[in-house]
Amino acid sequence: MTTIAPPVAAARPARARPDRRRQGWVRRAPLLPALVFTIIVTQLPFLLTLWYSLQSWSLVRPGSEHFAGFTNYVDVFKDSQFRTTAINTVIMTVGTVLIAMVIGVALALLLDRKFLGRGIVRTLLITPFLVMPVAGALLWKTTMLDPTFGIVNFLLRPFGIGHFNWIGSFPLGSVMIDMIWQWTPFMMLLVLAGLQSQPKDILEAASTDGARPLQIFRELTLPHLRRYIELGIVLGAIYVVNEFDAVYMMTQGGPGISSANLPFYIYQRAFLGFQVGQAAAMGVVVVVATIIIATFALRLIFTSFSGTEQAA
Amino acid sequence: MSEVTYDSATCIYPGAERPAVDGLQLAIKDGEFVVMVGPSGCGKTTALRMLAGLEEIDDGSIRINGKDMVGVPSRDRDIAMVFQNYALYPSKTVGENMGFALKMQGVAKDERARRVREAAKLLDLEPYLDRKPRNLSGGQRQRVAMGRAIVREPKVFCMDEPLSNLDAQLRVSTRTQIAELQRRLRVTTVYVTHDQVEAMTMGDRVAVMRAGQLQQFASPTELYDRPANVFVAGFIGSPAMNRFDATADTGGIHLGAATLRPPDAQLRAAQGHGKLIIGVRPEHLTIGDGELTVKVALVEDLGSDSYIYGHLADDAASNVIVRSGRDHPQHGDTVKVGVDTTHLHMFDADTGLRLGE
Amino acid sequence: MMASADIAAADAGLATPPPQVVRRKKRGNSLPLGIVGWIVGIVFFFPVLWMVLTSFKTESQAYTNTPSLVFSPTLSQYKTVFSSGIWPYVANSAFATIVSTILVLLLATPCAFALSLRPVRRTRDLLFFFISTKMLPVVAAIIPIYIAARDLHMLDNIFTLVILYTAMNLPIAVWMMRSFFLEVPGELLEAAEMDGAPLRRTVTEVILPVVAPGIAATALICCIFSWNEFFFAVNLTATQAATVPVFLVGFISSEGLYFAQLAAAATVATLPVILAGWVAQRQLVRGLSFGAIK
Repeated sequence: MTTIAPPVAAARPARARPDRRRQGWVRRAPLLPALVFTIIVTQLPFLLTLWYSLQSWSLVRPGSEHFAGFTNYVDVFKDSQFRTTAINTVIMTVGTVLIAMVIGVALALLLDRKFLGRGIVRTLLITPFLVMPVAGALLWKTTMLDPTFGIVNFLLRPFGIGHFNWIGSFPLGSVMIDMIWQWTPFMMLLVLAGLQSQPKDILEAASTDGARPLQIFRELTLPHLRRYIELGIVLGAIYVVNEFDAVYMMTQGGPGISSANLPFYIYQRAFLGFQVGQAAAMGVVVVVATIIIATFALRLIFTSFSGTEQAA
Repeated sequence: MSEVTYDSATCIYPGAERPAVDGLQLAIKDGEFVVMVGPSGCGKTTALRMLAGLEEIDDGSIRINGKDMVGVPSRDRDIAMVFQNYALYPSKTVGENMGFALKMQGVAKDERARRVREAAKLLDLEPYLDRKPRNLSGGQRQRVAMGRAIVREPKVFCMDEPLSNLDAQLRVSTRTQIAELQRRLRVTTVYVTHDQVEAMTMGDRVAVMRAGQLQQFASPTELYDRPANVFVAGFIGSPAMNRFDATADTGGIHLGAATLRPPDAQLRAAQGHGKLIIGVRPEHLTIGDGELTVKVALVEDLGSDSYIYGHLADDAASNVIVRSGRDHPQHGDTVKVGVDTTHLHMFDADTGLRLGE
Repeated sequence: MMASADIAAADAGLATPPPQVVRRKKRGNSLPLGIVGWIVGIVFFFPVLWMVLTSFKTESQAYTNTPSLVFSPTLSQYKTVFSSGIWPYVANSAFATIVSTILVLLLATPCAFALSLRPVRRTRDLLFFFISTKMLPVVAAIIPIYIAARDLHMLDNIFTLVILYTAMNLPIAVWMMRSFFLEVPGELLEAAEMDGAPLRRTVTEVILPVVAPGIAATALICCIFSWNEFFFAVNLTATQAATVPVFLVGFISSEGLYFAQLAAAATVATLPVILAGWVAQRQLVRGLSFGAIK
């Protein structure tokens, strides 16, 4: 990184000081609009959510709101449905991210080699990421997994599984299949970036040192890919934890709440149940949990990726 | 026993107009230090990589101890390679880097550690065994790359311009170290460089290459005293050999207005070839009385010697370099230059090949 | 395998081709990998392919136990979709996408510049702050946003979406743009300074051309996320400002489960982004890998 700052003359500190200060603000100025905008649009609502979470407030009975302290929080922790949806969220996130990453690594390894039509295959493989989530969920619900008319059942008919109700029997799993389908391209591209950033002469050196391809992958490629995989997992988790569209479209959280995740459950409470106070409290709990987990995770990206500025 | 034979080895990249390596024929003896040298694009690195198994052998073959290497993958060839950019494994320590090949062979941990320590001692790397490559200087990394190769006790060392990333002083000291090391270990070594000084000082024999084709394969002295063609004559030796257009008849060799009288055998060899190219090294020209008249354009005073750069008085497009002593002419002078005709090189102007002895 | 006589002959420079079966490896494309690659590609692409195929079928062709690959295509489904008033939704989506993306670029570019080429103290903290806003579950913030929008009479207003999409994409844009700025070689800036260029001109004439592909990549990613966004759209809009995802969901509920029609509606809804992604594939790949894959 180049710094274009005028050298501060040590001989005249009195004059230099206000210059330095001004320099500091000149440097900060470009980021202020973005910063201010973000603070207003994201932090204010969160503060308000905090405030609402301390109120007992139902939109059905306007004017009835009153301060309720931490009652909402107590209710949240006593709410078994909250626990269930929290577990669902964890399963959904961990499952989706890990499976998408494993498949992504495999696909990246495939795309790293030469074969006829590689460019077209890459185009095909990134398409799921481009599909509108509600449309994707709709596709999986109707044309793919529908018990009578879905393609999956049609393909499985020769094996005797003709009319299985996938979404009914495996609601969480079905939603996860859709999300894995949508997020694998992202993981694949990140890992592919990692593969292509590995200098080829290192692989050649390992080859002359007697290593077989599997050994090269295990000893050299995987350690190199580690930070790309970590980044993919963290970024993917951030998005998947907040996933709403797929749940809404495929199952509406059902049957019951077996496929509801936290975002959907909170939405239900707020917009369908009009329980603003409770929904707000749930939101706060989720935020706090996310921040705690994410702090650990982010420390990982920063230590791995502060090396991005110096080449891999 | 590790003899290496290139038998009409050819490598051509898909879509290329000419082969990168064209019918290379080399027989390298066991324990020999062979240097492949030439300008960029001459195919020397490709030829080395063909030996290491990193490039395809499209035609002909390469044999190590008589075994044909066509179709044999790198890992089975028992060759150690030192790469130009060292190619050290970034996620492994120096010790792990050096022990990697042994690990791949399944050598036991203690044995590995012992051999790594021995090699580290040889190269002064013992304090660094637990460091990762990114915490090493360029010179240290170079030694680790060498250490990685030495530990293996392979059949052949392949070295791809290992000194080119070092600064000048380090290059000279490392050069001698490598040569000593090779003499001690007596492993057959194939070494690629573009620097002809390295080639001349390190090699038992040197293969000069150009545009994929072998020009000459001989000892440094042989290359210097009897270059096989004009290209080798101009490539080997610094500053380069003087080359002039000339013709020959029974009266002598005619260089512009001047006539040179080489020994009779030489003169006889020069007959009947029409246009010639005459070569004379700067140290075989003397300032003083002589056949040539030279106008001085530039003087390089190196302390003990000096080199006079100029052109023939009657040919402004020519280039002449003369070695002189501390007492030398100045820029702008016109001097007479004498030619030592016992050290005259003659080449046919069309084929470029050497004529006579 | 080789007799010593042959070695001697080779030494003498004569080529005696040894009699042996020579297995020369072929360079270039690998067939088994190609087959696997194509199978995987088609499997992943299949749902989209099926969607497009179904959209050209008649309802009875689509709504059948035995789906068919061969049929005579019809445009009737598309006629239905287009005559059900989709255009205002498309206009809203386009407006929200384009305007928010422009806003994002205007805000993120200087911000990324300040976080990379002329670093501020606490760069790491600021970056952390930006990415942390993405981690806040949107659901938590929707309530006050809804209430605020309601009280400000901004419900069902396209500008509400514009503001929210800008906030949604800003962190990613800042991160991406920063990684592209970091690729500008320091020497370029020094050379410009030596040439006497004031900062503004250095930026416009030296830096921007180098990061232009990065800006394109960032813009593309923002467009994708904005166009596809559903949660804010469905909760904060009704009739005036509704976007294409809302239309799609609405189409389903009103039309029930008519597969072919749904397929057509879904194709229309997703096609712009898919095509944009295909055409600007290189930019997309650059953006998603933070500039690592060119």
